[in-house]
Order: sequence, then structure tokens, then C-alpha cells
Amino acid sequence: MNFASTAIEILSALTAAANLFIIAAGLSLVFGALRIINLAHGSFYMIGALVMASLLGPGQASHLFWPALILSPLLMAALGAVLERLLFRRIYQAEHLIQLLLSYALSLMLADLALRIWGADSRTVPPPSWLAGALSVGGATFPLYDLFVIALAAGVGLGLWALLRRTRFGWEIRAAVEDPESLALCGRNVPALFTAVFALGAFLAGLGGAAAAPLQAIGPGMDSAILVSAFIVTVIGGLGSIAGAALGAAVIGLFQAVGTLWLPTWAPAFIFLAMIVVLVIRPSGLLGAAAQGWGGEG
Amino acid sequence: MALSRRSTWGGALVLLLIAPFVLPTPWLLVLQNALVLGLFAVATNLLVGWSGLVSFGQAAFYGLGAYTVALAWLHGLAPFWLAFCAAPLIAALVAGLTGAIALRARKLYFALLTLAFSELFYVLAEQLYDITNGANGIFGAMVPDILIVPRNGFYFTLAIVAAALFVLHRIFHSPFGLALRAIRERRVRAEALGLDVARHELAAFALSGAFCGLAGALYVVHDQTAYPELLDWVKSGEPVIVAVIGGISTFAGPLVGALFYQIAHDALVTLTRDWQLVLGALLLLVVLFRPAGLASLLERKER
Amino acid sequence: MTARKATQRGKNLNGLGMGLLALLTGMGALGAGGVAQADEITVGQSTSLSGSIAQLGLTGRRGLEMALEKINAEGGLLGQKVRLVVADDGMTPANGTTNARQMILSDHIKALFGPVSSAVGAAEETLAAQYHVPYFLFTANDVRMTTQVFTPYAFQVVPNTVMEPRAAARYLAELVGKKPITLAIITPNYSFGRDSADSFVAALKADGVDVKVLTQQFPKLGETDYTPFIPPLVSAHADYTFVGQYGGDLVTFTKQALGFGLFKATTVVGQYGRQVLTALPGQVPAGTIGFDRAPFWAMEGEGIKRFNEDYHQRFNEWPSAWAILGYTAAETWAAGVKKAGSFDGDKVAAALSGATVQTMRGPITLRACDHQGNVAEYVGRISAEVDPRYGQQTYTDVKAIPGEETMLTCEEAEKLQPHH
Repeated sequence: MNFASTAIEILSALTAAANLFIIAAGLSLVFGALRIINLAHGSFYMIGALVMASLLGPGQASHLFWPALILSPLLMAALGAVLERLLFRRIYQAEHLIQLLLSYALSLMLADLALRIWGADSRTVPPPSWLAGALSVGGATFPLYDLFVIALAAGVGLGLWALLRRTRFGWEIRAAVEDPESLALCGRNVPALFTAVFALGAFLAGLGGAAAAPLQAIGPGMDSAILVSAFIVTVIGGLGSIAGAALGAAVIGLFQAVGTLWLPTWAPAFIFLAMIVVLVIRPSGLLGAAAQGWGGEG
Repeated sequence: MALSRRSTWGGALVLLLIAPFVLPTPWLLVLQNALVLGLFAVATNLLVGWSGLVSFGQAAFYGLGAYTVALAWLHGLAPFWLAFCAAPLIAALVAGLTGAIALRARKLYFALLTLAFSELFYVLAEQLYDITNGANGIFGAMVPDILIVPRNGFYFTLAIVAAALFVLHRIFHSPFGLALRAIRERRVRAEALGLDVARHELAAFALSGAFCGLAGALYVVHDQTAYPELLDWVKSGEPVIVAVIGGISTFAGPLVGALFYQIAHDALVTLTRDWQLVLGALLLLVVLFRPAGLASLLERKER
Repeated sequence: MTARKATQRGKNLNGLGMGLLALLTGMGALGAGGVAQADEITVGQSTSLSGSIAQLGLTGRRGLEMALEKINAEGGLLGQKVRLVVADDGMTPANGTTNARQMILSDHIKALFGPVSSAVGAAEETLAAQYHVPYFLFTANDVRMTTQVFTPYAFQVVPNTVMEPRAAARYLAELVGKKPITLAIITPNYSFGRDSADSFVAALKADGVDVKVLTQQFPKLGETDYTPFIPPLVSAHADYTFVGQYGGDLVTFTKQALGFGLFKATTVVGQYGRQVLTALPGQVPAGTIGFDRAPFWAMEGEGIKRFNEDYHQRFNEWPSAWAILGYTAAETWAAGVKKAGSFDGDKVAAALSGATVQTMRGPITLRACDHQGNVAEYVGRISAEVDPRYGQQTYTDVKAIPGEETMLTCEEAEKLQPHH
């Protein structure tokens, strides 16, 4: 194993981690602000990818790639906002089990509707033409599009940081996480804020799906597959923490790459073992603050 | 009151006993499947409803029960009957060990830990190819010929499920069962009153695991296969959903939910491609408007 | 426990009893419906119609339907029209057995046509035998279905997981001669993948090739992201890389592998059939070694030519191997029924065992010892150009490796079968 192939290993691990981060950040954000575990998060990811494929049309016109990459997550945000207003809003006070089952019911329905609309075939989406090539490093090649996904994730991370730390909206979200009642007393519209956060979560899931479309085959089943991975990432990083999601994604991405190389049989098991160890030793995750309500005395 | 309760159970049992003479074979098998799911759901509800411990990992023990029977046959380790009896014991043992770890966390983190264990066992079943046949699963003549005759298989399942439910019902009304509910309602107070909460919860976890394992072994009687998806989180969610649909606050609720779910599922699959949509919508309606479950709906109607 | 709660539970239980009664009545009524018409018999197919391998199931069904339509147009079988019921197994054995059981018990099917995934196939084979229903495998091709889980009711009209890799190995052995080669392997993690890889290596050695395996990867069936698996294959720099993925999985793998330069580092050997080559128009590097169980453009004979035209006219699309094999599977069953003069499962199975049946692709002999058909596998090197007639790359130097040359001997097969 030479330097170039090690670099490729790490880069491809980073690509997987980058994509996971975009999705996990949305899951974590929604949990942090709304205390909701959204099992339908994977559905936004899958539908985001499918919408991406549809927007490019049957000819897979790659000049439509950029508009589609923006429009598809926006549509997911709209879908998320509607679902939050119609359904999730009703159960913020309910038991956690009820919240989980509501989002699970939703994921079943969305999976079926997606199957209805897009059919059972798996699809592929081409990257934009100037990103279709590959980068050559010392005899090893690396797809340019994968580099773009890494850059996109970095951009999303910075954007979220700026949003949460530098804007009024971000301040309100953080205040809502800590104490929703006094925020309402301050005259803030908390329900509207919750809708916005939920929509932002759906946007990130949709963006993850749209960005992942050229990386893999897209079709039924990708919703539940990503949900488990995104869960592991958020739990390891710390539920509610965006930086935790980034760290968790990097850990899992590297774990997968190294594991596949050295211990292919045991690698998938190690990931769940890691999750178990983190939950036992540090339930709030590597970077998470202890979550109120869910973990405390009830 | 006691008489009425007993007569209802008796009536249900009589109906199930005559089912093989009334029902066409395919539906008899559906009912058999529903009974297995019913046991799985009541065993899961021992944690979720009785003890307030929301586990998303009971499929680990269900699958373990199924794999015990299947692996014993595949590797010629033990005859069917022995493996069948061993299944709940092995499941209880593993449940005891995982429970000791999972119960260190509370609420959501407990749920996530059980989910992680479920996925861990699932991955092992899939990856340990040389032992388990990997994703293929195990299939073949692992069940004695006598149980393959649909009517015999049904009666065998009915007998085991009825006996298991009888035992579970006794546990529900035992001091132990009452203690579990006391812990669920007021954990701190139960502790202050001198209840060993940790030991009670661990015992509940192991007991639930044993009955989930038994249900898994019965699944093999029905399907004669064991495969990794029996252990994953989707399978773990099934008894929880069924219990919520039926109602988690009563003993019989999950059973009602299981019968309803299995039969509705099998009828819908033949009628429409969109059964997932219907099931999702149903679950949504229950969650939003009947969080106490369908069993509470039946109660209303009687009045 | 308060009195009120106890009352509630009592009522709850009454509810249970009443609900059960209602369900039993309802189920009795439902079960009585759905009886087939008197002059019609039913056959069933449970296969994958969703997921990454759905195209295999969907086009296989087309072939099956075309054959049955032809039979019906010619007056049916033994004076009866044949109706096909189809269900999706979603790639899981449990759905497959549920479907098959439902078809056997409620639709009273006279024959069951097999799925895409061998895991599903093996589970269904056990079930079909329990109910004495003839079972025809034409896509799933695990050799176990004619050996370890062999039942007298199962017939395989597709090259199995020994024959297919042996054919590819034979081709490669002729290409490299006796010179030593290195090999990397990636296959889906179930018996099809494992067996294919093992057979391929064993066959190369049997043909006198000095082969060294550098790395082996086993992603799961239906994996959507192969990026963690590809760099190890690239850095192995093996002379040849055997890829066991198929259908949509192979499309995904190829796209991702192209990005990482795998095809420059090694010569890939894979199942590049109609669907994969059209999904990747002109993108598979020339010289890659492809194998295919029934490439419509390479097969000889009047029957297959006519079928190709019919299929193209009907679907505005050329047939996949699965469509061709589905068609021959239906022909095989029909020949068995005619020979037996009955739809009875035991009689049809007995009639077909050891028989030679005429199909549109020519005669197929189903050996008595394992019911494996002596069908050929086609191997060649992917052409540089897209063939304008077909909108896909084809093979240069295509060779049909006859089934007789690659099958297990009857002795080997029987040794693996149960009760031997």
C-alpha cells in the first residue's frame, strides 16, 4: 500500500462521511430543538434523490444539475413544513413512544407513495459534465464529484454554524432548545420557529439525497438504509449537536473504510459496538450536552 | 367479574380450537402467524407497557429463538424438540446479558441501546457466513414432518401460545407484575419504598427475552426458515407497533393488535399493492386519535 | 388495582372474543372467494419486482407471459387456458415463501416459476416440494438448488453458479494459457456470490492456470455505495478482477469503479448483459470480459430470432437474458404437462426428469440426477463501439461454452444431495 492509495482510501471515506454529515446534521438539529426523533428523516433523503432524478428528466440533462440540486431540497423543506403543521405539531406534548410511531407511520406512507410515483427501478443520475472526470494523484484516480461532495458538506457545516451563532433565527433556536417557555414570553412565535426548524431539517435531508444521487443507485429502500447510519452518527456525536454530527460522521466514515480494508467481516458489527460503548459510557455522545426530558427522571 | 373474564378467554379459545374446521388452509396459516405475533407483542409489552421500558430491540431475542432451532438443525447439534425447548432459555440468557448493559441507560438512550443491540445481532447473523449462511438464511426440513401438516402446526402453535399467555397473565397479576407497574408510574417512590428497581427491570428484560425467543421458535414452525431480517430494527418495531395499535396499557391489548395487524396485513396484501400506505395511515390515526389503542375502541362500542 | 380498572379489562377481553369471532367469519367468507374458472388453470411467479434487481424480475415476467400467451393462443394446455399470478418478493426469503404459500393454497397453482435471488429460490424450493408443485428456476441459479436442497420438483434451465463461473474461467484460461495471474474478487455476500467466486478460482486452477487471489470483498446484495470497497481493489493491481454483482448493483459498481480508475488498473470480469450495457451506454471499457446467460444478439437459431423480433415489436426493446430464460422455463413446464398428459405435480415432475424438451432456443436436456438443464453460457470481450442496431456494446470474440463442459458430474451432484 503506497501513499497515493492510502490518500484515496481516506478521501473516499471522507466522501461517505461528508454525505452522512449533511443528513445527520438535519436529524440532530430537529432533535435538539424539537426533542423529536424523526424516523421519516430518511424519507426526505430518498425523495430528495428521486426528485433530483426527475428534475433532470429522462435525458438526464446535466446542465439542469445545479438548479435541481437547489430545488429538490427546497421542495423537501416545503414538504417538511406541511407535515410539521399538520401532524408533528399535535404530538409535541405526547409520550415519546407516540412521537416515534407517528414519524414511523409517516415513513411507511412516504415509502409507499414514492414507490407509486417513481416505481421500483433503481435510477442513476450523472454528475454535471465538468465534475464527471477524475483527479489523478500519483497513479491513483479519484472522482472529482466526490471532492465536490466533501466541499459541499464543509459549506453546509459552516453555513449551519453561522446560522446558529450569527443570526437572530439561530439565537431563537438555541433559546428554544434551552427554554421554550420564556422564549414565548419574550413574544417570539415559537410554533413558527418549530416549523422553520423542521423544514430546515427536511431541507438538509433532501440536500443529502440530491447530492448523493450521482454517487449511487437511487430507489426504494435507501430511506431505511440511511436512517440507521444517520442515527449511529448522531448518537455517537451527541444528539442535538451539529459539531457532534460532523465528528460522528468522520468517525463512522473512517471506521467503515478501515474496517472494510482490514476486517471486512467484522466491520459492520464494530460500528454498532461503538454505538453501544458510547451510549453506555457517555450517553450524551462525544460532543452532546445531556438531553433533557428524554434521558432524565420522568 | 372473574367468571366473565374467564369465560371470554374460554370463548376465544373455543373459537380458535374450531378454526381449523372452519377456515380454509391459507387463512389458518395467517391466524397461526397472528398468534405468534401476538405472543411476540405481549412479551414485548411486558417491557413497553408494563414496565415503561421502550425497547426497540426485541427482535434480537425473537431472531435468536428462530436461529436456535434453525442452527441446531443445520449443524446437526440437537433434535428439533430439544432446540425448541432451548430457544427461550438461550434467548433469556442473552437478554439477561444485554439487559444488564442496556438498562444502565434510561428512556430514549435505553431505546437506542436496545436498537443498537438488535442491529448488532442482525449484522452478526448476516456476516458470520460460515455459521449462519449469511444473508441467505437457513431453510430446509428443520421442522418434524408432523408439524408441517397445517392443522397440526396450528394446534401446536395454539397450545404453546395459550400456555405462554397463561403464564404471562399470571405474571401480570403477580406481585412482581404489580411492582413493575409501580416502578413505571413512580420510579423514585418505588425505590424509596425499598423495591430493588434494577433487579426488577433486569428480570423483566430476561423474561421478555425468553418469551420473544419462544415466539421466534414458533415462527420457524410456521415458515421453516431463519434469516437475518428477523433480528433487525424493523422487525423490532413490529411488536411495538402492534402493541400500540391494540393498546399498551392492558394485558390483552397487544394480542388484539396482533390479530388485527396480521389479518389486515395479509388481506391487504392480496387486495392492494399499497398496503404500506394503508398500514401507515392506520397507525397514524391510532397515534393521533386513539393513543390508548384499538382495544379501547372495542370497549366503547359495547356500552 | 381499582375496581374500575378491573371492569375495563373484563370488557376489553369481551372485545377480544367478539373481534375474534368477527375475524373468523370474515376470513371464512374471504377464503371462499377467488376460485378459478373451470376451464382455466393457474401458475405462479414470485420474484423481485422492486429494488436494485427489479429489472431482472420484470423482464423475466415478460418472457414468461409471452410464452403463456402463445400457449393460450394455440388453444391452451390439455384444453385449459393458463393464467399467471405474480407477486413481488422484495428480495427477502420470507416474502417469497409467503407469496408462494398464498399462491399454492389459495390460487392452487400448478407450477411455480422462480425468483431472482437464490436466497428466495432455495426457501421457495423447500415449500414447493412440500406441496408437490413443480418449480422452475430460470434466473436464480444457485447450484445448491440442484444439490444440497435438491428436490424432485425443481428444474433449473439457467447455467448454475458452478457452470457460469466455470465458463468464464474456461474463456480466461484460453486467453492467458499457463502463465501465472493475480486475481481480485468482489461479490455480493450470499451463497450466489460466495459460490461463484469459489467456482471461478477452482475452475481456473483445474484448467491449469496458476492463480493467486490478492483480495476478496463481500458487500451485501443491493449495496448502494461501493466506494469503501473499490480502493482496495484498485490498489491490489490484480491482473483480473472478478465481479459477482449483477443487475442494478453491477451498474452502480461500474459507475463508481470508473471514477476510481479500476478499469485502468485491472481487467474486470463481470456479468455484462443487456440491461447493464444499456444502462451504461458505451461506458464499459473495451476489452473487459463479459459473460451473459442468454445474449439475444449472439444466440443462433430460427426460434430465438423470431422471439427477438416479437419481443422487440411488442416492447420496443430487445430482450434481456431473463426474458429469454423465462420464456424457455414456461416452455419446459408446458412440455412436461403434455408429456405427462396431466397437470399433476408428481406426474409432471416425473415426466420432465431426464427428458429433452424442445424450446425456442433449441433442445434442453434436464438430467435425471439433478434436473439441471444443459444450457450454454456466453463469454466474450466487450466491444469498443456501441452497436447501433441494439443501442449497446456487444462482445467481440464471443464464445458459447456448452453446459456439458461446465456442469458438475452426476456423481458430484448426487454426493451433495440430501440422503446420499
